[in-house]
Amino acid sequence: MSHRTGAIPLAAAIAWTLSGLATAFAQSPDNGKLADLFNEPVTTSATGRPQLVSEAPANMEIITQDDIRRSGATTIPDALEFLTGVYVRRYGLLSADVGIRGYDQPYNPRLLVLVNGREVYEQAYGDVPWAEIPVQLEEIRQIEVIKGPNSALYGFNAVSGVINIITYDPLTDRVNAATIRGGTQHYLSGSAVGTGQIGDVAGVRLSAGGMRGSDFAPGQLSPIEAGVRQAPQTATFNIDAKARPAPGSEIYIEASAADTRYAEASFTGDMDTTFRRTNSVRIGGSVDTGLGLLSLSAYRNEALNSLDAGPALVGIADWFTQDIYVVQASLLSKLSADHTIRIGLEYRNNTLTAPGFLQGTVGYQVYAASAMWNWQITPALSLTNALRTDTLALRYSGTPAAFSGFDLADYNHAGFTAVSFNSGLVYEATDQDTLRLMVARGVQLPSLVEFGEQSPFGALGPVVVAGNPGTRPAVVNNIELDYDRALPGWHATLRSALFAQRTDDIISEPFSSNVQFVPPFGIPLVTTTNVGSSEAFGGELGLRGQTPGGLRWSASYALAATTNHTTLNTGPQATSPIDYAMSAPRHIVTGGLGYNWERVELDVKARWQSSYMDYRPTGVGFYLQPVTVQNYVTVNARVAYKLTGQLTAALTAQQLNTARLYQTAAPPIERRIIASLTARF
Amino acid sequence: MNATAVPSVFQPFPGLTRRLAMAMALAAWVVPPSQAGSLQPEELQILGKALNFMEPALNGPVSVAVVYRDGNDASRRDAEALAAQIDVIDLGGQHATAAVVSSLSLADARFQLIVTAAGVDSEPVIEAAQAHRALCVTADVDAVRAGHCTMAIRAARKVEIFVNRGAAIQTGIGFATAFRMMVHEQ
Repeated sequence: MSHRTGAIPLAAAIAWTLSGLATAFAQSPDNGKLADLFNEPVTTSATGRPQLVSEAPANMEIITQDDIRRSGATTIPDALEFLTGVYVRRYGLLSADVGIRGYDQPYNPRLLVLVNGREVYEQAYGDVPWAEIPVQLEEIRQIEVIKGPNSALYGFNAVSGVINIITYDPLTDRVNAATIRGGTQHYLSGSAVGTGQIGDVAGVRLSAGGMRGSDFAPGQLSPIEAGVRQAPQTATFNIDAKARPAPGSEIYIEASAADTRYAEASFTGDMDTTFRRTNSVRIGGSVDTGLGLLSLSAYRNEALNSLDAGPALVGIADWFTQDIYVVQASLLSKLSADHTIRIGLEYRNNTLTAPGFLQGTVGYQVYAASAMWNWQITPALSLTNALRTDTLALRYSGTPAAFSGFDLADYNHAGFTAVSFNSGLVYEATDQDTLRLMVARGVQLPSLVEFGEQSPFGALGPVVVAGNPGTRPAVVNNIELDYDRALPGWHATLRSALFAQRTDDIISEPFSSNVQFVPPFGIPLVTTTNVGSSEAFGGELGLRGQTPGGLRWSASYALAATTNHTTLNTGPQATSPIDYAMSAPRHIVTGGLGYNWERVELDVKARWQSSYMDYRPTGVGFYLQPVTVQNYVTVNARVAYKLTGQLTAALTAQQLNTARLYQTAAPPIERRIIASLTARF
Repeated sequence: MNATAVPSVFQPFPGLTRRLAMAMALAAWVVPPSQAGSLQPEELQILGKALNFMEPALNGPVSVAVVYRDGNDASRRDAEALAAQIDVIDLGGQHATAAVVSSLSLADARFQLIVTAAGVDSEPVIEAAQAHRALCVTADVDAVRAGHCTMAIRAARKVEIFVNRGAAIQTGIGFATAFRMMVHEQ
């Protein structure tokens, strides 16, 4: 830094800060324009401030629109499957669970997923219903995958990682596309995206899509599971509108709806069919003032869910409605050349009503405050610290299950304050070498069902099943060292990471917990419990490049070794689908090749994962039996031919190398061949 | 120091007294001509995009003064080449018209933006930029660090933009918050 810079008069600095108060900036920036300017993906997902992905204090992978197209993906989990350190458990054409760095499980609660910052994580069970995400693949600018906790920015449940799906900006990006697809398993789908803009003042993007098909062969499903399984189908709609009422300011409204049906593995390990209708509305805006970028956002997610799980739920209402209201405000300010801060406030009101298994309504309010400080210590060294506190107040109205040990007062006086943080040191040692050292503490919240389940004795069998208002949030502490190196001689980039992680107060839903016997009658009771801890150690090594001749290539290895120090499955028979020491593959290797030749685009990707232990129901009570899922290789391939400037035909083969593959203890996954025709105009 | 210690750059002027040579050496040290060359075509494209984030916004057509070091033919030729490139690009979404201007006559020219050619002496450039409240853009990162120009662009391995806050304040120029987050401010 120049000695002259240090001599800038204080008055001048204040003038700089205040200069924008009277007049806002000429253009309201967006990440697309910044990415175009810097010729590299730009993200706000790591710290809340826009920055180059390579400079972010987080282990982040970006899946671009080109990556999505070349993958031949028909769902978002398809697009994630070959990413280093990402785990995908597939149950059917639409249903899958996604994990990061191990810990993948049915209804995985450890991964927070958002669309443009709006959460699509479902608070009822604490899972991500991927099929309901109302986004067409053609309208995604990039999928940002953060490995490791990021609760200090996003709050609860960003513990294994965060996936933020970023769509194109309706104000500045013009996306018009339509795709039809057909293939094996009677698969048929269609999607359309259209954009309308009035100069650079207003824009709207509409999208809609749907699919139907027949799910994979039933495999080893029990007669009950096979009986309830129905063919998957989905229909989604989304509208994003944005306007720039004045230079430097933006307002937007987003609305979406989805109607889905699919079979999936539930958190108890059994297969059922879920019917869900969801909708969301979000409004917000930002204004660029001399103090910084002030942003406001408010949204509501509503879900209506019903479940077909066979005779197990006969006699009780098997539906719920979920309402989530979130209001967020933040101020992002560059205080000086070397210091940037972001302060945020958030209010959240989550409610779940289920006359059957909740016997009422459970919910909570959360008040959160967060702060981020970035210090550019030298041009090559930066330190980012972020801190967040969430205060939760639980409530319940209804009828607590008898013999659960809890009454209304227990629920309505329960709550806690949780603190999370992220700290990252980024050192750009040379133009080609970057080191990151990060420590973080993330917090995972019990789901609404884990708080409020109320199934009296006899409703689900000779047992009381109850939530627990005293359940503590799980805490994930993570330390990580990353090293990235550009390899210009190879036209490639090397990325590597080492991490160590510990999770305390792991939450077990009631069905997996050990049975207690409530005196004086010895009534069996299972309830939500904090069951212990787990550690994880591992790392990733990835290479990605493109030869001067245009050959795209990639290779990666991921290791996640986990331990299990819980009270789960310590009885004579397993009751939890989770054994943290074995319930996710320890090793994953991926590789990919791609090439464009005149009008032809060809891509092949392969993935190998080691064996792991999964669980499936025995059909007796809540007992489960372990199933070893053998190591396997899966190969995907896509070839596309550009018929005209606007029209592209493509043929995709998923799991090309084998006709049938057990990826979990659920039914096997079958080879899929999908033909598509895409028009872009 | 004796006469033989005078830098070799002054040897073509053997009639100079030792005191004058010392003074010129000192001046050259304080305000050195740019050694960084000039903006490359790719960097000019980046400049065009960066101007989308400038306040106040440029109104087209944008008049650009491409300034060269007075009396330096190489610098002038470089400026002419730059001007030819600027004439065919968009600057912040606006059409640009470029004029080649010597550093000594810059104060009298009319322009909204200054782009420096190779070898330009810094002092008159920043003075003219302040007088015209115009953005000064250069390839010389050191000039920006020293406050002699407002913005430098470098795209050798990756795109880097350097902005001198003091120079920006003095020329009445601001940038969007998100843009400021992405650049190296001095």
